[in-house]
Amino acid sequence: METVLFNLIWVIPLLTVLACIPIPATCERALRTVHTASVSFVLLVVCVLTYRVFALGAAPADPASTPFALRFFTDIPWLNAFNAHYIVGADGLNMLLLALTAFIVWAGVLVSYKIKGNQKVFFALIQLLATSVYGVYMSFDLVLFFVFYEMEALCMYLMIACYGSGRRDYGGKKLTLTLAFGSSMILATLFGLYFESGTGSWSLMEISKVTLPMDFQMWAFPLMFMGFAVSSSLFPFHFWSPDGHSAAPTAVSMLAAGVMMKMGAYGCLRFAMFLMPEAAKIWLPYVVALLIFNVVLGPFIAIRHKDLKYITAYSSISHLGLIFLGLAALTPVGLRGASLQMISHGFLTGLFFATIGMIYERTHTRDITEMGGIMKKMPFLGVGFVIAGFAGLGLPGFSGFIAESTIFIGAFQQDSTLTRIVTVLAILSITTTAVYILQTANRMLHGPMPAKFQTLTDGCFREKLVIVVLVFCLLLIGIFPGPFADMLDLSIAPIFNRF
Amino acid sequence: MSIPNFIIPDLLLLLFPFIVIGSRLFCDAKSNVPWRIANIGFLLIFMLLNFIPLAGGEGRFFICNWRVDDFGVFMREVLVVSAILGMWFSKDYFMHAAAGKPQMHQIAEFIGAIAFATFGGVTVVSACDTITFFLGLEIATIPMYALTAWNKQDQLGSEAATKYILMGSVATAFELFGFSYLYGFAGSLHFDAIHNAVAAGTSPLLWIAVLFLFCGIGFKLTLFPFYTWAPDVYEGAPTPVTAVLSVTSKATAIAFLVVLVYGPLAPVQEQIAPLIALLAGVTLFVGNLGALKQYRLRRFMAYSSIAQAGYIMVALLGTAAMAKTAIIYYLFVYAVSNYLAFFVFGIIGHHREEIFDSLRGLSKQNPSLAIALAISMFSLAGIPPLAGFFGKFHLFFSGATTGHYMLIAFAVLNNVLALFYYLQLVKSAWVDEPDGHLNPLRLTRRQRGVIILLSCAVVVLGFLPFLSDNIFVGFSGL
Repeated sequence: METVLFNLIWVIPLLTVLACIPIPATCERALRTVHTASVSFVLLVVCVLTYRVFALGAAPADPASTPFALRFFTDIPWLNAFNAHYIVGADGLNMLLLALTAFIVWAGVLVSYKIKGNQKVFFALIQLLATSVYGVYMSFDLVLFFVFYEMEALCMYLMIACYGSGRRDYGGKKLTLTLAFGSSMILATLFGLYFESGTGSWSLMEISKVTLPMDFQMWAFPLMFMGFAVSSSLFPFHFWSPDGHSAAPTAVSMLAAGVMMKMGAYGCLRFAMFLMPEAAKIWLPYVVALLIFNVVLGPFIAIRHKDLKYITAYSSISHLGLIFLGLAALTPVGLRGASLQMISHGFLTGLFFATIGMIYERTHTRDITEMGGIMKKMPFLGVGFVIAGFAGLGLPGFSGFIAESTIFIGAFQQDSTLTRIVTVLAILSITTTAVYILQTANRMLHGPMPAKFQTLTDGCFREKLVIVVLVFCLLLIGIFPGPFADMLDLSIAPIFNRF
Repeated sequence: MSIPNFIIPDLLLLLFPFIVIGSRLFCDAKSNVPWRIANIGFLLIFMLLNFIPLAGGEGRFFICNWRVDDFGVFMREVLVVSAILGMWFSKDYFMHAAAGKPQMHQIAEFIGAIAFATFGGVTVVSACDTITFFLGLEIATIPMYALTAWNKQDQLGSEAATKYILMGSVATAFELFGFSYLYGFAGSLHFDAIHNAVAAGTSPLLWIAVLFLFCGIGFKLTLFPFYTWAPDVYEGAPTPVTAVLSVTSKATAIAFLVVLVYGPLAPVQEQIAPLIALLAGVTLFVGNLGALKQYRLRRFMAYSSIAQAGYIMVALLGTAAMAKTAIIYYLFVYAVSNYLAFFVFGIIGHHREEIFDSLRGLSKQNPSLAIALAISMFSLAGIPPLAGFFGKFHLFFSGATTGHYMLIAFAVLNNVLALFYYLQLVKSAWVDEPDGHLNPLRLTRRQRGVIILLSCAVVVLGFLPFLSDNIFVGFSGL
């Protein structure tokens, strides 16, 4: 029963799209109701299953899924022509990421009620995007994984180019093509993994049973790691993210920054590092050097920007840099911090883009120099933004503090001067983060209010609900990190044991 | 002489164009009878093909050595499907003139020509001696020359046909030259004898033959550097002919290479692999580069299909079973996606000029057409879960079986380039604001039906790949 429910997670969005085909595009109300019901149901299912994974804890799992202890394990032959299987399962790491996705998709649908244009197509695309993200986190077969991973390109471009703002065609193309570039690198390594491992299987578990030849690992690991890092905007592949996010409609920014950028980091951890640990040990120190840009320079660039979405995009770049710092530390604490940061930053950036979208919907500008005194007219949205900002700069009590401090501890444990220097720089850069967050909040929320903002209204119930739920999640992880860390530790252990 | 059952569909296919054309004697020019006969005939042949045992058989008929194997059976299905779609597509052009073109006439002869080209393709996959092989290729090509010039009053069409026939004749000369050297080398016309001779040892004579054969077929498959005719011919020919040309003619040419590389030349496949890899890599790169700057729909499709030819060539590096599976599957997918694109372009072309700007605002005026266009473009670009992705995956997988990772990495990177120009087209339809000066589009019931059918096929062939998987069970033993 639970296994069926688990498999339904990615099927329900598709079924919803099919169910909506007969509804005419003019019945926007009906469409919104159906989609809201569908995403709420998925959210419920995911929450229940997450609790089940947590409750099962370290209980023995299906032996076919070793070295992982996967719950709801399903393995069905799929493409006989090249022996690809449909393999899905859940451990703590991907179950929490699925929960994150379900929350962000739910919030994304709720904030898009007033999107302009053909709502039928828009919601269908959101659901397709959700399918692809769920699929990515669930699958343990390389072909299945890649199908879901690449599927997002199809939806992203259309959503940004048709429903976005500003330079939407440019932003959409930049994002889609850069991500496609990354996935083409991944696809090339997938073929190598299949044939070099000699297992005749695309299953992650099967391939991990053999030690891949070192000369293959030496070129395949950087290719695959960078392919994934493209979607997590690791320097020098970060350039798509500010333009893409700023052009995208609110829901897409939330999904892109909240969950899709995590897909890259997740792929680095679950696929690249897990399958090729020997090469990872050699190459990861070089990744640390790249992080100086993400972690240290990212916040400085954010200070100079005037567009709210650009500021948030650079803030995301720096936060994702921290994930990679945790990964590159190669200590259990670092890996735990990195995975916590994936989840924490998902909620954080979701909240950020949600409030920005709501404010933009009213002010029709994202330029902070044109804003002021918004707090007087929209106290609720203002407070939401400030909370997101504080969580972003790692205020204790919010999830960001737990995740980032774990990463710093983990990274400092590593016996490498470079890593330690970068860690110290990263800790110092929190001050820079504080500068741009406080500066933005100050200019936007306080000070004199332009006359045209006099008529603005505060968030409606739907918008308040989104903010409250996301803040609740941030606080939950921040105040009770224990259960989450336990779940993550169990699923990180098999990966770390390979090193 | 008893007729073995595996040859019945082929005989029907040979007889069938004569029936269609002959039916003109008994009805007037505007009659619908030839069209109906053609529909029934093609569908009947398609049904019959499903009953041929995959093992097929071999026999000698008149002067032709004829062999039916599983690859041949599936190739027949691809060719017949392509012919049916091409026939459905062309019907509109005989009812209303496309924008800026004279109306086309003589539908019976038109369908007859398509059927002859299909029979030519069937001959190519069934031949097991060089004479039959060559005849098949010519039967497949000559109707195409006529089809290109079908619109007699259209200057562009006549120009395209002239170009096509001149270049085509040179290519034919190359092939004949190659075949003559092959005969000189092996001392026999039969493929099995040539195979044995090649296995026994090689000589410069063989390499000259191989080079000339590749040059000749390179023209028909639009490989670099013989692709230059394609954009002009695709642009000048009537739209349904362009569609048939891009699928049937390409399928025939690739079948020719498959038969050649895995038949008589199989012992030296490893030696000619660098040539194939080079042709594949350069062709797909050139095709992708060429497509970047196009703004006319059919020129764009020409370059896109040149690039697709490059991708198909990648599969030829693999082992026989893998390559045949991959190519058949890809040809199915390519046929469906390409026809879907051409159907959309055809509807546009009926009312407007065939350029990117005519697509402006399509998503607002005609969402279903815009969705169909996006599906076909994303499928051609190889984005999952659409069929095009699984097709390309098959091709690359086949190439990877022999360890050509560098070429695959190059091809995969090229896909990003391809995605760029397919996105350009999608952008015209989805992002650009509607232009009030454009003529409104009207869809007939049949057009709508075909577009929905093809869109579903592109989605389902990819999304439920195990459906198409069963097709290949027969190949596992190859």
